[in-house]
Parts: sequence; structure tokens; C-alpha cells
Amino acid sequence: MDLLTFSLHNIFALLQQMSVFLVIAYLFTKSPFFGSFRSHNLRPRQLLVLYLVFSAFSILGTYFGLHVKDAIANTRAIGAVLAGIVGGPLLGGAVGLTAGLHRLSLGGFTALACGISTTAEGLIGGLVHLYLVRTYRQDRLLNPAVAFFTTLVAEIVQMVIIVLVSRPVDEAVALVRIIALPMILANSCGAAIFVSIIRDQRKMYDELSVTFSAKALKMAERTVAILGRGLDNETAQEVAFVIREETGVGAVAITDREKVLAFVGQGDDHHIVGSPISSSQVRKAISEERIVYADGGEKKWRCSLSKTCPLGSVLSVPLRVDNELVGTINLFEPKNKIFRITNRTLGEGITKLLSDQLLYARYIEQKNLLTVAELKLVRAQINPHFLFNALNTIIAILRKDADRARDLLKHLSNFLRKNIKRTGDLATLEEELNHVNSYLVIEKARFEDRLQLEMDIDPGLLSLQLPVFTLQPIVENAIKHGISTLLGQGVIRLSACREEGLARITVEDNAGNFIDRGSTGLGLGIIERRMKNYCGNDRGLEISCVPQCRTTVSITIPDKGGEGR
Amino acid sequence: MIRALVVDDELHAREEMVALLVETGAIEVVGSCGNGIDALKLINRLRPEVLFLDIQMPVVNGFELLNMVAGELMPHVVFVTAYDQYSLKAFEEKTLDYLLKPVDPDRLAKTVAKLQRTIGEKRRPVYQAEEIRRIPCLFGNRIKLIDLNLVECIATTVAGVHAATADAEYFTEVTLKVLEERTPLLRCHKQYLVNLDCIGEIVLLEAGRAKIVTRSGKNIPVSRRFLKLIKKKLLI
Repeated sequence: MDLLTFSLHNIFALLQQMSVFLVIAYLFTKSPFFGSFRSHNLRPRQLLVLYLVFSAFSILGTYFGLHVKDAIANTRAIGAVLAGIVGGPLLGGAVGLTAGLHRLSLGGFTALACGISTTAEGLIGGLVHLYLVRTYRQDRLLNPAVAFFTTLVAEIVQMVIIVLVSRPVDEAVALVRIIALPMILANSCGAAIFVSIIRDQRKMYDELSVTFSAKALKMAERTVAILGRGLDNETAQEVAFVIREETGVGAVAITDREKVLAFVGQGDDHHIVGSPISSSQVRKAISEERIVYADGGEKKWRCSLSKTCPLGSVLSVPLRVDNELVGTINLFEPKNKIFRITNRTLGEGITKLLSDQLLYARYIEQKNLLTVAELKLVRAQINPHFLFNALNTIIAILRKDADRARDLLKHLSNFLRKNIKRTGDLATLEEELNHVNSYLVIEKARFEDRLQLEMDIDPGLLSLQLPVFTLQPIVENAIKHGISTLLGQGVIRLSACREEGLARITVEDNAGNFIDRGSTGLGLGIIERRMKNYCGNDRGLEISCVPQCRTTVSITIPDKGGEGR
Repeated sequence: MIRALVVDDELHAREEMVALLVETGAIEVVGSCGNGIDALKLINRLRPEVLFLDIQMPVVNGFELLNMVAGELMPHVVFVTAYDQYSLKAFEEKTLDYLLKPVDPDRLAKTVAKLQRTIGEKRRPVYQAEEIRRIPCLFGNRIKLIDLNLVECIATTVAGVHAATADAEYFTEVTLKVLEERTPLLRCHKQYLVNLDCIGEIVLLEAGRAKIVTRSGKNIPVSRRFLKLIKKKLLI
């Protein structure tokens, strides 16, 4: 048998081994380990998995090898080199060393050379990895050509090492002459094919997840807006329609805790909207608060309403709002169709999303209710202290000055009427000032010399719009927490002026007694929120306080009247 | 006639109260004022039998005022307020009565009857004073509340009672006796109270006397009868 025939024979034999090897490689791409297969930025756990996988490949390569002259022609290099390319020198070296040590343990006159060279091959793969990463060509890491040439070079290096290390030299040379060509070719081709298998699988994975994500996102986009309006027959019907259209399942049903809110698709002739839930699976999903899945195989879904119902499998997912179960979303497939895993995942995912959306809808609703309630509160918040002190003052003045008492009563009734009667969200500054004026006239009577009022209002701002009941609570605050704590003369300054396209309204007292009460107390807190609602989040109350000297509360509002001119 | 003092920071409310009391014919209003400090002064001077007291007043409120009244001078107390935010029922045991503004003359008549009964039976006012945490002091024409931790000592002279902090001295209407009773300050001399936390050193002198040097360097005399007590307190 001349050298060439032997060589050719070996090539075919090695290629045959390689095929088995590649089948295993293919199976690997189908295994869960493939999920952690990435070619750079690996985490320790992924590195460990890759180390184990590639070491196994490398050692398998040795076992599949062909015994030639007390040596082994093999495909061990593929595992080591690819480990290097994929995971860098560390992983390559580790795999190479492991497979090398294993080879060493099998003995033979090339054992030491093979041990060393396999480690070297892993490192060569690692160097290629480093080079590609440093030159920002990570995308080439899974390139068959790169794998081919790297392995080619690595195998040549191996041959050189065998000649250099193995003794006797003449036997080593003889061996290399026989195995060099087949091993170089088989390993290079094997590595290239292995890489291309991995690459194709990855691509398929990616494409699948892209379509899957696209579908999920589209469905989310279409359903989320609908459920913003809450869950009722109408919105349920729309959502069910969208889910069916996007997933292509046989039918979609949405229920609340007791009855069917919507049913779209096959079997809608006997699955009537508004009827109580008949399916035991759906009832189970509600009572046990968990996902119930009858795949149509072992666990069949049988319609309890009609024998001719085409549906045969169901996925029933509970719909929760804030941990409270409000209903279910159910996906059905007919008896002659398999329930697809992707649809199962989509169904579960979309229900989670819709649960969140319902929670958000509820939150918005409550927030709106709160704003309305708060406005009512401000309105109703006629401080009883103020009211009884006002009445007491008027009664006292009645003894001395009936006309003044009459005048004060008129102001008090104006103040009360405004508090009760004013509707709508907005008022003009003039209306607000009128309200404040009635209030201040009464307070002035209460405190007499202890309260002095100063007003400076730009007449051009009188038609300015602001949230109703903004001004009076601020003034009341200045009196209650400011002026009334002073032994001496108190001064309240009320001003409204234009300032760089804004209208600034300021209430100042000379007490300097402002204490930050968390969210500035209930009254000011409400004003702040309403200002932000009306003018945007960068508006609100500005409060500054120089202790014992003054407290200034000011609000700024876009001066629309000013822009118009 | 029952001698009454009216305390309310609002002028008209005060005048109305006085007018209503006069109308009952059973009360002699000996004075009226608009804040707690003036009230303390008038109580010390006029010794009224009953106080018609507004609760919400600037700087020193009604409760704080009562804490500063000496026990033997404590009048009967009728709280008068516009709105019962303090749940005055809770104070019913401590005070004689409470009235809501605007005051109804018929209701006031009942209070007066109760007062006459109580005073006729010579029952003592039962208002329990609490610990004083801040001492109201005159500072120019303002009233300043001096935190007790800052007070080094209190001294009484012919000019009145003074509270001394590390860097200033303030005049106060609260008596030495009340401060001794209702603050942790300790008596070290007939005319002095000292804050134990502010003692820098105690210098022993002849004849069993001593002097205290405060942290800020003030000298406070210690008389023989109080030296022992102070030593005991300081665990010397």
C-alpha cells in the first residue's frame, strides 16, 4: 500500500468519523445548551457550559480517531480550535489542555506531542478570537472560512510539534507523512462545517424570535389601547378579535369571573356572549388562579354546550389586576389542529401585558377621581376656625357698628357663595381676587391693626386664567401659619405682574414661619398638583422662606393674553 | 363678684367676651389682654379667680401660658375657642369649663353658675401644669422662646427674672419658683437656678460656700444649703 493510497484511505476514514462527529454537533445545536451559545462577552456560567461541551467534542474526536502506527489520526483539534475562536485563549487553552491530558493518558509514542499540540491549537484559536475582537470583527467569529484556515494552521503546527517532540524522530516523520494530509483536511473541513451548522441554527433562532417578537409587539400595540378603557363587553370583543387575528387560533374567548364577555371564532354559534362560563377548564383557571392548558392530545377539551363543536384544545390564562383575578383570556384550537407552542407563549404573554394595562387603566381612573374629589375638598374646605371666628367678630362688631357688621356679613356670604357655587376648572384672576377680597375683608376685621394688606395687581392680568380656588388657600395659609403667629404688625402683600412671557402671582407675609409639612400640607399640595396639571410639570408653587422675616409663595402661569398681543 | 381676666388675641373677640361677662352681672372683669406674656404679667399682678382663655394665640398659646402660672396663683380656667380642634372634652377634668365662639349667653350663664358653685365651695383649680420646655422672654419688643437646653442659669434680681444663655440675657415673666418646679433646672442659691449640663467647674470657697463657673465662664454663687444637693446630683 503506497503512501498516497494510505493517505486517501485515511482521508475517507477520517471524513467518515467527522460525519458522525458533525451529527453530534448538529444534535448539540438542538439541545438546551445551545441557548447559552454566544461568541463573545461570555459570562462565567456560559463559559463553563462551553468548556464542557467543547472538551467533550475534543475528547470524542480522539475516540473516533483512527489508530495508525501506535498513534491516533483524529479530529480532536476541531473542539479545541473552535473553543478558542468562540471563547478566546482561556477557553481554547483550557479545552486544549483537557483534551491533551486525556490524549496523554492514552499513551503511545506521540502522546506527549499530541498533548502539547492540542493545547497549542486551542491557544491559536484563542489568538484568532482576540485578533478579531480587537479589530472589531466579532461578526467573523462564526465564519466557516475563519474556522477552516485557523484549523488548517493549527494542524500544521501540530504536525511540526509531533516531529519536534516525538522520539524516535524517524518514526515521527514517517507518521506525519501518513497522517498530515488527512488530518489537516478533515479537521479544517470539519471545523468549517461545524461552524456553519452553528451559524445556520443561530440564524434560524434569531429569525424565529424576530417574527415572534414582532407578532407579540403588534398584538400588544393593538390591544393595549383598547383596554385603556377598562374591561367590558365591548373592549373584550375588540381584544378577542385582535388576538385571534394575530395568533390565527381557532377561537378566542374572554370572560370575567362568571360569564363570557366575548367569543370570537369557530363555535361562536353556541358560545354565546353573556352566558355563564361552561368550560370546566376555564372555571378551574379562575378558581385555582393558574394557567390551565389542555393540549388536545392527552388532555382534551370537550365543549359542554355542543357535541358538534369543532374546538378540541384550550389555553386558559387568568387575567389579574393588582393581584385580584378579574377574568380569563382563552385561546382555542379546533380538534384537527395542533396547539402551537408559540401561540401558547403569546397567549400567556399577552395576558400578562393586558393585566398590566388594566391596572394602569384603573390607576388613571382613580387618579381622575382623586382630582375631582380634591377639588370638591378644596371647595368644601371652609376652615371652621375661620367661619366661627368670622361670625364671632361680626357679632362683636354688631354691638358697636351695625353698618360695618352688615358689610362684613355681605362679604361673608359672597365668600361662602363663591366657595359653593363656582363650577368649572378655571377662573379668571379677577374672579379669584374677588374671592380673596371677601376673605381678606373679614380677616382684616378679625385682626384689625395686626393685619395690613398691600395689593399690587397689573390690571392687564385680570383676565388671566388659572385653576379655580388657587389664590384663596394660599392667602389663607399666609394668615393661618403666618400673620396669626405674630404678636406685632402683620403684612400680607399680594401682587400679580408680567415676567418674561409669564404671569407671576405672589403672596408674601412678614412672619417667615413657613414649615415644610411634607407635601406642603394638604391645601398647598392640592394647589401644586392642579397647577402642574394645568400648566405642565415644570410649573407649580415656588415657596421661599426667610425665617422670622418673610414667606413668599408664588405661582407662574403662561401669560396667554400677553402672547396674543 | 368673681374676678375674671379675659385673654384673646383678637380685639373684637376680646371685647365681646368682656361685654358678655359684664352682662351676666356676676363677674368683675379685672383685666383683658391679647397675648400669653401680658396674661402672665396680669395674673401675677391681679390674681384673678378665673381666666377666660383663648387657646390659639401667637407665640405662647393657652396651654403654654397655664404651664407658666405659679401653682398658688393658678386661677380657674374656662377655655374659649372658635373651633374645638383640641377635643376640649379631654381637658374637662383639668379645667372648669369650655365655651365655643360665638358664645351663647345662656351657655355662659351655666358656666358662671358652675364658677360660683366651685368658688363658693372654695375648691382649688385642678389644672395640672406640664413641664416647661421653652421659656418665653422679652427681647426688644418681640417675644423670644428660649430653648431650655440653651439656658445656663436663671437669676432673680430686683429688676425681675433673667434667663442667661452663653451669649445673652433675657427678661422673663415666669417666676423662679415656677421654673424650679417645672424645668430640670436646679436651685443653687436663693436667687439662682442652674442648668447642670452647663456647669464647667465648681470652685469651693470658705465657710462651705462655693461658686459655679459655667461653660461660657459665668460665675454663679452656690449657697451652703444647696451645695450638698448639687454635689449629690453630680455624684461627687
